[in-house]
Amino acid sequence: MEAAEELRKEPFSAKFWRSLGLIALVLGGFFPLVWTILTSLKSETELQTKPITYLPHIWKWDNYVQVFQAKPFLNFFLNSLITSSVSTILCVIIAAMAAYPLARLNIKNKGLIMSSVVVFSMIPVIAMMVPLYKIMTHFSLINTYPALILPYTALSLPVAILTLTAFFTSIPSELESAAMVDGCSKVGALRKIILPLALPGLVTAGILVFVNSWNEFLLALSLNTRLEMRTVSVGVTLYQGEFAFPFALMSAAITIAMIPIIILIIVFQKRIVSGLTAGSVKG
Amino acid sequence: MEPQKNPQVAVVQIPPPRFKGGDLSDNALAFWLMLPAALLLGGLFLYPLVTVFWSSFHVQKLLEPGLGEPFNGIKNFVEMVGDFRFRGALWNTLYLGVLTVAGSFLVGIPIALIANQPGRFRALARVALLLPWAMPPVFSALMFAWMFNGDYGVFNAWLTSLGLEAKRWLVTPSLAVFAFCVVTIWKTSSFVGLLTLSGLQGVPKDILEAAEVDGASKWQSFWRVLLPLLAPALSVALIFRTLSALQVFDIPYALTSGGPDRALETLGILIYRTIFESYDFGASSALCVTLFALGLAITFFYVRFVRGD
Repeated sequence: MEAAEELRKEPFSAKFWRSLGLIALVLGGFFPLVWTILTSLKSETELQTKPITYLPHIWKWDNYVQVFQAKPFLNFFLNSLITSSVSTILCVIIAAMAAYPLARLNIKNKGLIMSSVVVFSMIPVIAMMVPLYKIMTHFSLINTYPALILPYTALSLPVAILTLTAFFTSIPSELESAAMVDGCSKVGALRKIILPLALPGLVTAGILVFVNSWNEFLLALSLNTRLEMRTVSVGVTLYQGEFAFPFALMSAAITIAMIPIIILIIVFQKRIVSGLTAGSVKG
Repeated sequence: MEPQKNPQVAVVQIPPPRFKGGDLSDNALAFWLMLPAALLLGGLFLYPLVTVFWSSFHVQKLLEPGLGEPFNGIKNFVEMVGDFRFRGALWNTLYLGVLTVAGSFLVGIPIALIANQPGRFRALARVALLLPWAMPPVFSALMFAWMFNGDYGVFNAWLTSLGLEAKRWLVTPSLAVFAFCVVTIWKTSSFVGLLTLSGLQGVPKDILEAAEVDGASKWQSFWRVLLPLLAPALSVALIFRTLSALQVFDIPYALTSGGPDRALETLGILIYRTIFESYDFGASSALCVTLFALGLAITFFYVRFVRGD
């Protein structure tokens, strides 16, 4: 109500600029994806005619069947889903365990530990590529899920630890003291009081990790090189042949691979925005 | 779990919370809780970093195993500095970084202000802001590669309908740089916008109202009141954006594979090529160490002189 009243007493010009900005943001944010979806529904011949068409002349839904036939796209999708989900769960659990003492316990060298977590997040992924390849080869993990799950878990650990430390710190410690009065142990307080209160934080950290893992390209490109073990971020680039660039098929592949991401941001938009403050402004 | 004998005494004791019943000391508990994270970070970050450091001071050519892996002093670095490709890639990384980081703030802050406005379309605006952030960089590059296509791209179609000449975007070096900046700024201004947006939620409304009552114009209250309040969020965004700009790989790789004519050959692309074209891990490791040191140095500079803490 209050917001609506504010809008009403506003002069017309301000309203005009505000709407224009909103339209620009929405068009700018959505246009590339909308254009990709439109491209995914055209035939390759239609894509190579001038002048270009905006809406498809013939809606070629068959592209979405072709995506799965030309390459093992179902594998790509499932590989991404498995590596991203498992690394998300692992990373959130391990980060929560590490963040709790940082936020709550009276321990030595807290500042040093926090700064080294930040420095870890600055190591370029490409610097780790060759050593990781050697490690994974040594343990015969190349072209298996752990070859990606382990590095993805480690890659997102710093940001997850920072986010969760900030979250745990924001929970009033009187609640723990209350648990103590009730005769809880420290671990009991963590499980019964802190974790339920920190659930929103765990969800936010989980989303950040999932998005990171789903989007990762460099390690996926170099560690798991067997076609059936590719993830979507690399798989989408594999449709291009030596000379041909089948944009319709690639667009269809991109569109399908965006579905989990789109669901996440629609469902959790508020969580993501409020969760990022806590995590990053801390560091 | 035995019941508390005297709850009141316990309440008085609260400040240093003492938990009962054979608990570990704080340091021991912390050690066990942090152990998994330490093992993962140690094994998959620190150990690789140490081996890269080691390789950067040794001969390590996969194609010439007869050479062995003798100590090489700083020769890898000397050769690196003497190589025109390194100097080109360093320059590309730095100036593309400055352009795209600056661009992402110029676009990111306004879109956060727009998305923060109350109104019916707030959720829609927020999703529009989040979408580029959450999208794989490779996808963004491929989508824009098609839109920038010289023959059938939608951008050239708009240019010709305005009576302008169609351009060979991804084939001409200077235009490829422009296209790269468009993709990168589109993708990353969303991250800056997101951090700004979350910073805005912590800004108390009455402060802005007080500024308005005191007769500040919208412009003044933005520069003098809002921006200083957002400074912590923005400085974090600046550090993260700079680091990711230094390490950029996915977008130039998917957009033009670093071309045309090395226009988009950044340090990340050069390292990848050194690894997979010449299999010279001594040389690639020297590049990796340089890239890491560059990120550390710039972050240190920011923290020391820009944030002042």
